[in-house]
Amino acid sequence: MEMEQTMIGRGRDAIDMIFDDSSVQENEIGNYQFDSEIGPGAVVGTAQLEGQAVTFIASDAQAINPRFNVVYFGIIGLEEAYKMALSVYHTIEADKDKPLEQKRAIVLIVDTPGNGPGKVEEIMGMNKSTGSYQLALAEARKAGHPIVAMVIGRAISGAFLCHGLQADHILSLAKNFGTMIHVMPITSISRITKIDIERLEELSKGNPVFAAGVDFFYKLGGVEEKVEKVEDMRSLIKKHIDEIRALKVAGNFEKLGPWGRGTLGDERGGRTSRKVVMKLMDAQYEAVAEKYLNA
Amino acid sequence: MALNEMKFEFKAENPKSINKGWSHFGVVGSGDMEILMEKMDLNGSVQVKIVTPVTGFDNVWGMVMEKFIRSSNLGDVYIEINDNNATPVVVSMRLRQALADANKQEEEVDEDA
Amino acid sequence: MLKWDELQKANFTDSNARARAYGLVDKGTFTEFVSPKDKLSSPHLPVLGEAIEFDDGIVTGVGLIGKRPIFVVSQEGKFIGGAVGEVGGAKMVKTIKLALRAYEDVKKEHPDSYEDRLPAVVISFETGGVRLHEANAGLLAHAEVMDQIQDARGKIPVITIIGSKVGCFGGMGFVAAATDVVIMSENGRLGLTGPEVIEQEIGKDEFDAGDKALVFRTTGGKHKYIMQDCNFLVADKIGAFKTQLDEVMKIPFNEIEGYRRIGSLKLVEEQLELVKKAVEIAPKDSKDMWKYFGNENPESLTNMSYDEFMKSVKRRERICK
Repeated sequence: MEMEQTMIGRGRDAIDMIFDDSSVQENEIGNYQFDSEIGPGAVVGTAQLEGQAVTFIASDAQAINPRFNVVYFGIIGLEEAYKMALSVYHTIEADKDKPLEQKRAIVLIVDTPGNGPGKVEEIMGMNKSTGSYQLALAEARKAGHPIVAMVIGRAISGAFLCHGLQADHILSLAKNFGTMIHVMPITSISRITKIDIERLEELSKGNPVFAAGVDFFYKLGGVEEKVEKVEDMRSLIKKHIDEIRALKVAGNFEKLGPWGRGTLGDERGGRTSRKVVMKLMDAQYEAVAEKYLNA
Repeated sequence: MALNEMKFEFKAENPKSINKGWSHFGVVGSGDMEILMEKMDLNGSVQVKIVTPVTGFDNVWGMVMEKFIRSSNLGDVYIEINDNNATPVVVSMRLRQALADANKQEEEVDEDA
Repeated sequence: MLKWDELQKANFTDSNARARAYGLVDKGTFTEFVSPKDKLSSPHLPVLGEAIEFDDGIVTGVGLIGKRPIFVVSQEGKFIGGAVGEVGGAKMVKTIKLALRAYEDVKKEHPDSYEDRLPAVVISFETGGVRLHEANAGLLAHAEVMDQIQDARGKIPVITIIGSKVGCFGGMGFVAAATDVVIMSENGRLGLTGPEVIEQEIGKDEFDAGDKALVFRTTGGKHKYIMQDCNFLVADKIGAFKTQLDEVMKIPFNEIEGYRRIGSLKLVEEQLELVKKAVEIAPKDSKDMWKYFGNENPESLTNMSYDEFMKSVKRRERICK
C-alpha cells in the first residue's frame, strides 16, 4: 500500500477541502456569535456542504491555549470541550422548530490526541467538560441532526469518545494516511500487560479487540466506512448525511450512533459477546419483571 | 499464552452435598480467587475445574483439592475456580469460606418486600 | 456474604461489588442479572493469559427501594482495577436499557400511579475506565453507556455512587459526571486523568502522585462536594449510601434535572463561568478554590471528621438551580 500525505495536524485544511468554497463562517452558529478568544484549540462554526448549512467542529492542532498550557497539538482542554458543547446546543437551538428533514447536519473533523491532562483541569473537573460535549452530541443526534465524524488523523481514547464516538456514523481516512485510532499504542499495551509486542501483533490478527488501527475498529463496528482518497471525504460525508437523515425520518434511530455500531460490530464478527450478554439479561429481566413492576 | 485449565475428580467417603443449589464466593483480585459451587448429581463425586494464569503447580492443586474434598466429605458438587496467583494461605481460607457460605440456609429472602 | 443488616454497617470502601449491590437496595430485594452462575466471563482475557472472573468485574441486577425498581450496576475494583471490557460494558449498557424498558412497562401497567413506581438506575463506580486487554471494545461500550444516559434524560433518574479505593477515572469519569445525581464518600475520587498520568505530564514538582493528601484534595469527595461536582457527601458505610439513596428517591422527578452539573446549554454556560474563575484565580491547589468559595481556613477542612466537615464547609454557589 502506498503511503499518502498525512492529514494529521491539518484540521483547518480539512475544513477547506470538505465544505463549499468560501462558505466557512467560523464562530457563527445560528444567531450565536462565539467569543473568538475562548478555546482556541477548537474550531467551530457554520459552512455549506453542497449548498446546505452544516455545523462543523474540529480541533486546531496548530493553536495553543494561552490560559491552559496543556492545550496544543489538538488536545481538547476545559475551554475547548465547553466550546464544542456550546456549538452543539446552539445548533439544536437554531433548528428547534424545524422538521427532521431540515435539521442541519453536524460534521466532526477528528484529529485529537487526548483530553487535557493537568492539575488545574482535575481541580476544575475536566470530566465535566468532555462529558458535557458528549451529552450535547447525543441530544442533537436524538433530536434528529445527522452527525458524521470524519477521522482525518488521531482519534485517541477518551478524546475520541468525546469527539467522534457519539456521532451517527464515523468515517475514517484509511491507514495509509497515517490515521491513528486507538486507546493506547501496542507498545504501551505491551508494557502494561507484560506481553511481547511481537506476540500481541500476532494475536491481533485473529482478534481485533485490543489492537491499534482503523481496520480493527472497522471490524468492531467502530468505523462505518473507510475513505481511500482525501478528495472523497466531501462526497462521502454528504452521502452519509443523506443516509442518516433518511433513517431518522423513517424513525430508525436505533440503527445509528453507538447502539447502531454495537449491532454493526456483531455483524462484522468483531464484537459477538455483547449480544449474548444482552439477550440473557432480557430473558432474566422478563422472568422477574412482574415482581418488580408491581411491588 | 492462554490460561491454564485443570480438571480433577475426587470421591470422598460418606459424601454430602452443599445446602444451596449453587453458591459463589470471592473476587479475582491479584493474589486472590473466586469459587463457584454447584449442586450436581455426580454419583457422589466432586468435579473440579481450575482456571489460572499460573502453570507448573497442577499436581499441587490436585492434592490441595483432594484434601479439601475428603476432609469435608463433599460430594455431588461441581466446583469451578478462577484463580489469579492466590497464595496457599488464601487458597485454603477461600475454600473454607466458600464451603461455609454454600452450606448456609438459602438466604431468607422476603419475597413480599 | 454478610446478611443485609450487617452489610448496612459495613465500610463501603472495604466491601466488594456484590455486597454493595445487595446493600444499596431494600432488604432481600436484589436479583442479579448475568450472575457468576451464568459464567459469562471475558472471551478476550484468556488469549492474553489474564485471569478471568465469572461476572467480568461488574455486578448487575434489579432491586427495590419502596415500590421503585432500582437497576444497579456495581463495579469491582479488585478485578483488573474495575476496567470495562466487552462483557462488563454490555452489562452496564443493558442495565440502563432494561431500566428504560421497565419505565415503559410501569407506565403501561400503572398509568395513574407510575411516578410512585418510577424506576431508577444506580451505578457504583470503581474503575479507571477502559480495559486495555480489550481496549477497543471497552471504548465502544463507554460510548454506548453515555448514549443510554442521554436516553434516560427526562424519564428516569440515573444516580452515581463513588466511595471506593480505585475511584472513578478515565472514560467512566465523564460518564459519572453525566448522571443526574452524584453521591460520594470522602474516600471516593472522581476525575478524568489519574494522578500517575498527571505526574508524568506535568512533572513531579507540580504534582506528586505519591502525595496521598494532594491526590485526595484534587479529586476526593470533599473537594467534589465543595465544587458542587457531587451533590451529597456521606459517611463510608453501605448503609449511609443507602439512606441517601432513599432520600434521593423522595425528590420529585421534575426536580432531578436541578441536581445536574452538565447536560444543557445553561449548565454549560455556568461551567464556562467557573472556568473563567479558574483562569482568574489560577489555583495551584484545590485549597485555593476552597478559600475562594468562603472557607477561610481551607487546610483545616482536610483533616476534619465527616460530621465536623459537613457543619463547617462552604460550597460553591450554584448559578442554575
